[in-house]
Amino acid sequence: MQSPHPRWERVRVRVIPKMADNFDQTLDRCLDRIRSGEDIESILADYPGDTIRLRPLLRTTVETVQAYSYSPAAGAKRDARERFTAALTELRETRRQKQPWFKRAFVRPATWAAVATLVVAIVVAFVGVRPALSPLFSPGSQVLPIAPVTSAGGNFAFLISDEVNAIADFESVIVGIDRIGLQRQDDGKWIEFKPEIAEVDLTQVPGDAVQEVWRGEIPSGEFRQVFVYVDNVTGVLKATGRTTEIKLPASKLHLSLPFAVTDDSVTSFTYDMTVFGTGNERNQKYMLKPQIGESGARQDPRQQKEYPADKGTGNGNNGKSDDRNTSPGRPASLPTPTRKNNKE
Amino acid sequence: MSTSRDRDKAEARARYEIELASLYEEYYDRIARYACVHIGDRCDAEDLAGDVFLKALKSLDSYEERGVPMQAWLFRIAHNLVVDYLRKKTKAIPSYAGTVENAFQQADADPELMAEQSIRMEKVTRAMVQLTADQRQVVGLRFLGGLSSKEVAQIMKKSDGAVREMQRAAVERLRNILAIEG
Repeated sequence: MQSPHPRWERVRVRVIPKMADNFDQTLDRCLDRIRSGEDIESILADYPGDTIRLRPLLRTTVETVQAYSYSPAAGAKRDARERFTAALTELRETRRQKQPWFKRAFVRPATWAAVATLVVAIVVAFVGVRPALSPLFSPGSQVLPIAPVTSAGGNFAFLISDEVNAIADFESVIVGIDRIGLQRQDDGKWIEFKPEIAEVDLTQVPGDAVQEVWRGEIPSGEFRQVFVYVDNVTGVLKATGRTTEIKLPASKLHLSLPFAVTDDSVTSFTYDMTVFGTGNERNQKYMLKPQIGESGARQDPRQQKEYPADKGTGNGNNGKSDDRNTSPGRPASLPTPTRKNNKE
Repeated sequence: MSTSRDRDKAEARARYEIELASLYEEYYDRIARYACVHIGDRCDAEDLAGDVFLKALKSLDSYEERGVPMQAWLFRIAHNLVVDYLRKKTKAIPSYAGTVENAFQQADADPELMAEQSIRMEKVTRAMVQLTADQRQVVGLRFLGGLSSKEVAQIMKKSDGAVREMQRAAVERLRNILAIEG
């Protein structure tokens, strides 16, 4: 049947798909907001005209996402990670074998370590120990495979400290750290690295004392979470001299604490963990957990940061005093770290 | 000239390897869930997620940025592996038989919560089967893979508008099947 007004027909044909597309776009934007964790009602408040149509669709989306919100089996994930790591290592090794010998020598970390040691030995012999040499040993050069690009000096340092709770009960509390993960704010990607100092005795870093475990170069940006993957914790009690179990809430200690890393400054992130007692005097138990209130990042100008003449002002130190150790060149008063040699 | 090109290629390859490795922790889970929606077996889905990263590593030379983020490329590989899996299993449409049991076998949560979650997942998976393959893929990539509709469009080689339309149709269909009120 012919339309009484041909122009109306044309208008309808053009407008209706556009309206549908507009709704599709609105729904798409709402789904993005659902994904980022917003609740349905606050999203709907921005679309009063579409509330009736949108609400059931958003509820359906939430229901679908929640139905599949399980975590894959940790064992399966670990096995897959190991297969991936092995494949990556093999691939790199194969590639390295194909290179001429002189190139291999330059990329081989052991060779570099030997060369670096020789250089240091010569400098120590003729010039004496100078703090400016320590960046030669910038940690992280062995990190595989989830590794930031590292270089001497670096824009990021990771430090461990202990808030005093039950630490006085212990002669030593050795925390073995397998790796450290930082999650970026913008895309949620993880940057992981292995600490150069893989074991820290928390009895040596109480209160404002800290131990730097890693320093290197990481991509600048904003970060939202920090994971410390703990291998093991061994506590020796002062009273008995015996080893006691210190439980972990999970295999990784998790802190949700936003901080920023820039290229022109050194960000020192202090991860504070504490041992606290549970149970009673007769059946005392201990647990290790992160302390968000005592953790945080501070930034210092890059050159000044490398070997500071003074301690700098810093920002976001979360209550820690400014005389914390934030550089490898710092305090003689710092405890000697328990070093685990990661190098080949 | 060619040495310089080789060096650039090697540098890009090294950069991609780091990027791929950095995606592992987060995207393994997402890919496993995405695969689970399509193949209906959690254990196989987890194996497949691991295979995605291995395949990506082997094919890294063929990856070029060109506006396709690496995570979207990973889901494209995941989709191809899902298709291969279903072909081998001669499953035109996943049956989801045993999915829920498999999904929660290893969970160490509260049994009551497990049962509740199990029922919920079963209900949604039965609804998912009634979607078209494309709609299921959009839902999987958007809701479980966490990709944007633009990234989904790149993977499915469709326009952004077509993806948004499929997404709306899929959610409306799910809503009707699940009988979710406004």
